[in-house]
Amino acid sequence: MPRIEMPPPHGGRLEERVAKNPELGRKLAKSAVAQYDIKPTLDENGVPIRNVYREIMSICYGFFSPVEGSMPQAEVERILKERRLLNDWVFPYPLVFDMSEEDYKNLGVTVGDRVLLRLKGKPFAILDVDEVWRIDNPEELATRTFGTPEGNPEVVNEPFDKKMPGWVIYKNLNPVVLAGKYRIINEPKLLPPFDRFWFPPKKSREEYTRRGWKTVINHQTRNVPHIGHEFLMKNAAYMGDMEPCHGIQVNAIIGVKRPGDYPDEAIVEGHEAVHTGGYINEKRHLVTICLWDMRYGNPLESMLHGIIRQNMGCAYHMFGRDHAAVGKYYDMYATQTLWSVGIPSFGFPAAVNEVPYGLKIQPQNMKEFWYCPVCNEIAYSDCCAHDKEKQKFSGSFVRGMVAEGVFPPKVIFRPEVYKVIVKWWKEFGYPFCNPKYVKEKEERLEVDLPDMDI
Amino acid sequence: MAKTIVVLLDDKRLGAIKGSGLEDKVVDLFGGGVQALNVEVPEDKVKEITHAFDTARIDTRDCITDTPIAFNRTLFEEIAKSKSVGAEVVDAVLKRMDEIKEMAAKEGEYLPVPEF
Repeated sequence: MPRIEMPPPHGGRLEERVAKNPELGRKLAKSAVAQYDIKPTLDENGVPIRNVYREIMSICYGFFSPVEGSMPQAEVERILKERRLLNDWVFPYPLVFDMSEEDYKNLGVTVGDRVLLRLKGKPFAILDVDEVWRIDNPEELATRTFGTPEGNPEVVNEPFDKKMPGWVIYKNLNPVVLAGKYRIINEPKLLPPFDRFWFPPKKSREEYTRRGWKTVINHQTRNVPHIGHEFLMKNAAYMGDMEPCHGIQVNAIIGVKRPGDYPDEAIVEGHEAVHTGGYINEKRHLVTICLWDMRYGNPLESMLHGIIRQNMGCAYHMFGRDHAAVGKYYDMYATQTLWSVGIPSFGFPAAVNEVPYGLKIQPQNMKEFWYCPVCNEIAYSDCCAHDKEKQKFSGSFVRGMVAEGVFPPKVIFRPEVYKVIVKWWKEFGYPFCNPKYVKEKEERLEVDLPDMDI
Repeated sequence: MAKTIVVLLDDKRLGAIKGSGLEDKVVDLFGGGVQALNVEVPEDKVKEITHAFDTARIDTRDCITDTPIAFNRTLFEEIAKSKSVGAEVVDAVLKRMDEIKEMAAKEGEYLPVPEF
């Protein structure tokens, strides 16, 4: 059996668009002709739903390689039609730097200009403007981004609407797009607790090598892990080559989430508690983060997840039912369809890792784990035949238990993990994301920036 | 199609239904780690509940979940009061919807941290 090696970055080269030398950063900042303070995207009630700074971070640190910046109109069009960048590599979503007409007028820049982007009142990044274009109809952009039941009948069940966070993000974009490459010129410092989980692709690849890992399987998360998640991780990791995967990486998506999801702080520390509690040996377990405001685009989101984790160096990615989904918009196995036979209407007549300029990371499509009182164990759905007796790990059931203050049994949450939920519940006065948490988080963000005199 | 609401029972709630005849209807979940009562909700009432609350949804077990805590508490109050898990309990809860919504609105900002 051939040994599996760490896959190359998507597009062949890791983007690293960060000026590490402060003097260089200062010079680049000085060359800008205008300054712009980054603003969050708000929904119709004024609640933050996205901050483009997270996209700039993920692009510049290489998570989204080979993307280099805010996309020109032709690239957005190609993504909407074929889910490919202009250089042919597959990519699921338009990524743009948008602003209002009023802000654009006040900024006074045009093609060829350099804009200094400020975050929390301090210099953060530059954007070299290659093109200025307009989003004429953001609702149409939102719908084309995620698909329609008529246009994508293989996987889209019902039209997207205001209950779908990703659709709401695109619908609320401002009309003016500045397209061009980003470069971070003042390297942000991740705040606790996120700082200890910050492993951008270059660093994660170095970390795998340091640990002697060649085969790493990724677990996508936006959840505090219950026992079902833990068993998914442990069992999916039996895939490898002549031996199980060396490493299990958890990559938590950090950013605005839907009400009812857990706070980001509880998610990362909850996963950390799985190894500090010894349930997965720390030597085999690495908890990491990526900054991104989740779009909940099920198969499309899974493509982005594949890109992020391939860039981080993972050989495998586990995909379950309803991957990165909300509601019933997509078929519950839409992600597994993309990674097994493809979705022609999204531009993939074959699996997304079997098309030209596709991904190299391999999927591990898993069904589900449940508790079976007859087997008296956490059982895999394709193994256990006790259909009447099975007890599913419903995330919403578990959330209900948490909200009602019922101490969950060990067969649902490890006590160490539940203590993390309570710790952050005390901090925020609430166990889940709510508008108050999202607004406060938007002021705090996940980073601070050093002072930089220009 | 009718759906189910799983009403979780902690020690306090188990005490409240003691001697009511409901003990026989208590089900063990997750190897006895959790006790609960299952309340069946007729199809027309399912829509009423899911439309009343933005967060409410049907989960993979075909159960109504993510209802406000105020709704769950009221449901248990009605169960304990009528010593039943029948359809009349759901009707009684739906009659108190305005009161539930008022309490639920406050829940969006704060939920008391459990003491263990």
